[in-house]
Amino acid sequence: MSITLVNPLDETPRVLSKPAPRLANLTGKTIGLLDISKSGGSVFLDHLENLLKQRFGVARVVRVMKPTFTKPAPEAVIAKLLDAKCDAVIEALAD
Amino acid sequence: MLDAGDQAPGFSLTRLDGTSPRFESGAQSRSRLLVFFETDCPTCRLAIPYLNRLARELGDASAILGISQDAATPTRELIEQAPIEFPVALDVDLAVTRLYDPLAVPTLFLIGSDGRIIQTLGGFDKRALNEIATAMSGAPLVIAEPFDGAPDTKFGCTSRHLEASGEGELAAAANPYVKRAARAARIELDDSVDPFEYCTRFGDPLPVIPPTVDRVDRMLAACSLAPDEVVALIPPNYGAATVEKIAANAVMAGCKPEMMSVLIPLVRAVCDERFNIHGVQATTHFAAPLVIVNGPIRRDLGFACGSNVFSNVARANSTLGRALQLILTNLGGARPGEIDMSTLGNAGKFSYCIAENEEENPWEPLHVEMGFKPEQSTVTLFAGESPHGVSEHLAREGRQILETISRALATVWSYRVCAGVEAMVVLCPEHVKTLHRDGFTKPAVREFLFKNTGIPLRQFEEGVGEGTPHVKLYKQAVIDGEPCYLKFTEPSAIKLVVAGGTAGKFSAVIGSWAAGARGSQMVTYPLGAQASLPASSFGVSLG
Repeated sequence: MSITLVNPLDETPRVLSKPAPRLANLTGKTIGLLDISKSGGSVFLDHLENLLKQRFGVARVVRVMKPTFTKPAPEAVIAKLLDAKCDAVIEALAD
Repeated sequence: MLDAGDQAPGFSLTRLDGTSPRFESGAQSRSRLLVFFETDCPTCRLAIPYLNRLARELGDASAILGISQDAATPTRELIEQAPIEFPVALDVDLAVTRLYDPLAVPTLFLIGSDGRIIQTLGGFDKRALNEIATAMSGAPLVIAEPFDGAPDTKFGCTSRHLEASGEGELAAAANPYVKRAARAARIELDDSVDPFEYCTRFGDPLPVIPPTVDRVDRMLAACSLAPDEVVALIPPNYGAATVEKIAANAVMAGCKPEMMSVLIPLVRAVCDERFNIHGVQATTHFAAPLVIVNGPIRRDLGFACGSNVFSNVARANSTLGRALQLILTNLGGARPGEIDMSTLGNAGKFSYCIAENEEENPWEPLHVEMGFKPEQSTVTLFAGESPHGVSEHLAREGRQILETISRALATVWSYRVCAGVEAMVVLCPEHVKTLHRDGFTKPAVREFLFKNTGIPLRQFEEGVGEGTPHVKLYKQAVIDGEPCYLKFTEPSAIKLVVAGGTAGKFSAVIGSWAAGARGSQMVTYPLGAQASLPASSFGVSLG
């Protein structure tokens, strides 16, 4: 005799979105650096900012920080990156 | 619904003191705020502290009038428990509600001095609250800070006059605020498949009870909500926890059907943004949600609160804690090795549920301290590590017991970290007896532990380590003649619960995860009314 189970797993429909187009190079681009506010993150991002500018010719680096690493970025933080019209954003986590 | 520009109608409603002052419709000397609310709406409860702050900032509580859509008794209880610091009138027959016709609660109507509605706000929205506060004070006024642990916005519940009469599927179908999701898929297993073996993919690594249609139906029958109603969206994947999905996981955990009355409010509580289950599930820290059950439900459903309280002692504790964990992994997606990459984990991720031993507690139990009546059953959630035992059998006095506990508290999170951390102290009955005999009240215990838990400054003189870069944030105090940093930023960081057996002088300290508005805040939810709450509370802040 067969038995019938109720699926206990998540079946919420998901909409897949395409990844953003990749940049051919970084020259002259605006890059956002999102610091999730863990200790040491700024040290890492300072180095990254220098590398992006000196080695890869990035024109502008926009630095944004989440108020806490324990929660998703609030809309105001995302809005700052959007307003800056970043070509790409790097989210940085450090401890 | 009345909107900006409309004339606000006048009315007379009875207040709890028996008076019925008239709310005038015409021009007044100042602007006024009407707040329609229900007593069992989580969003209304969320909004109350901000409205209290507005009343204080204005220096005029009478500029705000709360309009309760419920009867005098639950309204009076909420006023005491929340508390509500502005006048409240009763709209028991919903006559004034029909006049203003709000879709949801809470709905705020800001009424200008000319008697016209300036602005309305349905649900909870910090930006709109600040706009209303600014309009009322005549100068920029912030009553809702952006990152205080509460979400920026949260949907309300359906206004009472729009609720369908009755409960269950028909009522839910007519309810514009109920969010529904598809029914769960059915899985047919033929004879060649061992259902227990098949179901290992649904659970923790231990066998689960197969969630057959019959078993799930028995769970659903014990609950007045429609199977496809979404109770919450579970972070971090925001999977829809429908009543049916909750029931299927409850079956797997071994719950009896009557446990649904606890599980539904518990799922709402765990998704309260202040608890921040998103972070608790995603952190590499040890934290797991600890459930603490209070009130008569302990006896009704057989929750253990005495000896072995943290162990495999009672079906109620073990299955409720396990059901919550299964829901978090199966619907929220925080599966070990995937989203949950905790470094060492926590045995509590199988099940972490205790009840308070209220009978051995001479003070207020946890839920009464949180503002609920003793006869109101509640669930409380605390994001905690595993319990760390504190043995003290030689101390003859309460003060000495607390000194021993304070030394364990000093080590919470990391010895030299003195901010952003909380702790739950689980006091055993024998320790409590001595403390009570020596005249310690619950606030006195907390105050003593706060003032006497410190890390000597000399410990910070050498060696950079966790906690040392932040000493500017710490408060200093002299403890036993030695300059120290206080371990906790305020006494309320120390939570107190009485639990355990009557033999043995073993208490426990449970360290928190990142605490406060920037981490996880302890939440307490009432059982009963909310279990059959017809409207859902979401409050998802994706981003």
